[in-house]
Formats: sequence, structure tokens, C-alpha cells
Amino acid sequence: MTAVIQTRHLSKSYGRVQAVHQLNLEIKRGCITAFLGRNGAGKSTTIKMLLGMIAPSAGEGTVLGLSIRDAEANREMRRRVAYVAENKPLYGYMTVGQTIRFASSFYPDWCADRAKDLVNRYELPIDRRVRLLSKGMRTKLALLLAFSRRPDLLILDEPSEGLDPVGIEELLESLAGQAAEGTTVFFSSHQIAEVERIADYVCVLERGRLMVDASLDHLRESYRRIELVFPSAPLEHDFCISGVERIREHGCAVSIFASGNADAVVERARDLHATSIEIAPVGLREIFLETVREG
Amino acid sequence: MLWYKAWLETRTRFLTCLSFLVAILVFFVHHAESILPAKSNGYELMFYAHFYLAALWVLSVVLLGMGGLLRERATGVSSFTVALPVSRERLVTVRLSVGVLQAVALAIVPWIAILLVSSSNGRPFPISQACFYVLLLIGGGLVYFAVAIFVSSIVEGEYTAPAVAYGVLILVAIVCGSVSKLRTYLDLWRFITGDRYYNRTTHLLSGPFPWFGIACCGCIAAVLFLGSLRATGNQDF
Repeated sequence: MTAVIQTRHLSKSYGRVQAVHQLNLEIKRGCITAFLGRNGAGKSTTIKMLLGMIAPSAGEGTVLGLSIRDAEANREMRRRVAYVAENKPLYGYMTVGQTIRFASSFYPDWCADRAKDLVNRYELPIDRRVRLLSKGMRTKLALLLAFSRRPDLLILDEPSEGLDPVGIEELLESLAGQAAEGTTVFFSSHQIAEVERIADYVCVLERGRLMVDASLDHLRESYRRIELVFPSAPLEHDFCISGVERIREHGCAVSIFASGNADAVVERARDLHATSIEIAPVGLREIFLETVREG
Repeated sequence: MLWYKAWLETRTRFLTCLSFLVAILVFFVHHAESILPAKSNGYELMFYAHFYLAALWVLSVVLLGMGGLLRERATGVSSFTVALPVSRERLVTVRLSVGVLQAVALAIVPWIAILLVSSSNGRPFPISQACFYVLLLIGGGLVYFAVAIFVSSIVEGEYTAPAVAYGVLILVAIVCGSVSKLRTYLDLWRFITGDRYYNRTTHLLSGPFPWFGIACCGCIAAVLFLGSLRATGNQDF
């Protein structure tokens, strides 16, 4: 599978603050990739660098094979990418209809029929000014502008923000539909449950650094929580094994969070005469929380 | 469609300024007629009308210069604009072009109103003189508009940019007015009001049309416009 987005040592700093640090990212074609991270982790900065809105401080990157540093290539790339920004910025002085007409004029892949369908499905008031729309309606309009096209790549920055549960359900269906049509989807989100439902790949960013970059299936298969009980408290270095990410001790009980190599941990526990060994699969929420706490 | 966006963005400001200018000047010309001596041809009235027009026009074009990507960044919508598949140069150029057209309309339409009112009051004014005034206002006044555009390209904030632009213009006017050498060559205010060319005997503008002065003002405006393009191209949104 070829990479639609590729970055190499991509960095952005604001004075002494390093917003993104040496990011090596590879987003595969035709997949849905979720971009997770806490507020201020550098997700939006990364997305804006990819779209040419922010100049990187260092490093290189390509989107659809076009350099993010070259202004002309960047413009061509934006023609093939649909982007929904965080906070869903739209012109308050335009009506819904004017906004749709305005956006449609820039993209050769605009589907007027699809836009019409979405206006009806989202129940958008065509003559109302955008500044008078509710947050949810504004989000729907921003999504309509992206979904009314057939882009090669769809980049969404917290797309479900402001949507009610029905809206979120429709959004997830639309994202899955876009991916089924061959569009690569790259989206940032704080909603782990949504990510678990639709993402193929997950990237976790923490303080500008990429902590996790793997398929969701791989994460589910390899991450484990191992609860151990010993007759007497073991030493922490007994579990310095590759794959062990975090160890918590409560007297004779030890809780291990491992990104792999669970069998080796269990074997070591047996060698140390563990009286109880419990292995449990780990959900994405826990993986995320452990990763960002560790970071 | 960028033209359409620029028009929608500025039309309220533009139409408000235009209505205000026309109303004030029509009121002034209509009512000032009554205080003129009977033998007067009313030409001095036109000089004062243009003086007030120039003052209001400068205030208006600075307001029209308000906007652009930095203002959009302050209001949170710049991400939508810069994500469009158009270059930043084009975004700035379209905004400039619409602004210049509006500035021209703000100079011409009030003068047409002045001529109509003046004619209907039985004191026709030579069209060539009106054109002289209008060209001075547009040619020289574009510098004021360019200053507003440049300031809005480097100063963020919805209302900070016009406030800074007014401050800069007042400062330049004070400096140019207080230094005699600068007053001779750089007093833009005397240039656009026609004061430099006003004959106090005939109450008409006299002398050849100052093409060189207009060209100099055009160059200054062009440099400021290029500066705006460059500043916008280098910013993060």
C-alpha cells in the first residue's frame, strides 16, 4: 500500500515551544486513520503543516506525492483534498446557499446532487446566514462541503465536535462510505469509541512526538494488561522486558501494561512463583491513556 | 467566486460609507447655497465640499481596508480561506481590487450627487473641474487605502488594524505638516483636497494636471500593496 501522507522529521516550533517534533508519519492509501492526542499535542499543527497553512520549522513531507513546502504543489494538493477544520470555520456573512455555491466553484470534483441530498438530510436552512446557525448545524454544513466532493484524501480535525448522537452516527456512516469509495480518511478525534468503530490505523501524538503508529487490529492483538500476585513483593527490575510499557506495584500485587511480549512476562512471573496471573486484552481508551500518561 | 466573497464581506461597510458620504455632501451643498453671496458662482463651495468629501473618504477607505486573512485569523475563519485551492497572492489581489473599485466609487458617486444638486440649484459646476478633484482624490488617496491594507496585513485583530492605520495616518500628517520641506513635497492631504492647485481668485483648480504626483502616489501605493502580498505569503494560519 502506498502512502498518501508521508512526513520525515517534520517539526514546528514557536520560539522555545516545540509543537511538533521530528514527526515521521505514513498514512496508507484507502484506509481510515485516526489521529489521537490530548489538547495541544500538535494534531492541528501537523494537519495545518500538511495543508500548507503553517510552514514547518524543519523536515519534509508530501501529501498525494506533492511537497508540502512548494506553494504551487500545495495549491494543487488542496484541490484534491477535502478538509474540515477544527471549530468548523465558515463565513458568518454568507448564507448556507451562498457558502455552498462559493465552495463548489473551487473544486472540479463537486457533486451538486450529493450536496442537494445532504442539505435535505442535514435539514440545513438554505437562506439562513451562517452566523445564525447552531454549532451542530455549522458542523453539518462544514461536513457537507467535504462530503459533496470525491476527493482523494479527506482530512478532518475533530469532525464530530458539536454533533448530537444521530449526527455522529451519520458522520461515521459517511466516513465509512467515503473510504469504501476509495477516499483515504485521516481524522483527529477525542472520541475513542468513534475511532474504535471505524479506524483501520491509529496514530497517537503526545507533546509533538508520535508515540503509537499501528493498525487497530495490531493494537488489539499485542497490547495486554497483566495482573500478577506474588507471595512477597517482587523487584521492579524483574520485569524489565521488551514490550513492558508500565509497571504498577501495590504490595504483593503487580499490574503490568505491555505493548507486546505478554508471554515472556507470564513466563517470568511463573519463574518468580506468582500465585495469580490474569491476562486481559486492552481497549483503545486504555492504550491511549497509558501512552499519553507515559509520554 | 473570490470577488463575490470580497463583495459580500465588504458590502455593508461600503454601502454604509457611500450612503453617508452622499447624504452629508448633498445636505452640505444644498444648504450651503443659502449662505453664498448672490453674485457668487458657487465654485468656492465645491472646494469646501471636496474638502469634506476627502476627509470622509479617507476615513471610509481605511474602514474598507479592514479585513484580510489576519482579521479572519482573529475571528477564526482563516482556516477555511487558506484551505481553498488558490494562492495567497490571489486572495490578497482580489481583496485589493475590490477595495480599489469601492474606493473609486466612493470618490465618483458623491461627486455626481454634488453636480446634480448644484445644477438643480442653478449653479452648474464645470465637469472638467469635478474630474480634476476626483482624480486628485483617487490618485493620491490610494496611498491611504494602501496604508490601511498594509497595516491589516501585519497587525492582527478585528478592530486593531484600522485603529493602528488611523494612528499611522495621523502621525504622518502631523510630521509632514510640521516640517516645512516635507510639507512642500509630501503633504498628501493638500494634494488630494486640491489645496495645492486652488486659485483663490477664480476658485478653480488651475495649472497642469499633476501626473507626476499621481504617479509617485501610485508607486508608493504599489510598494505597500506588494509589502502586503509578501507579508501575507509568509504568515502561518
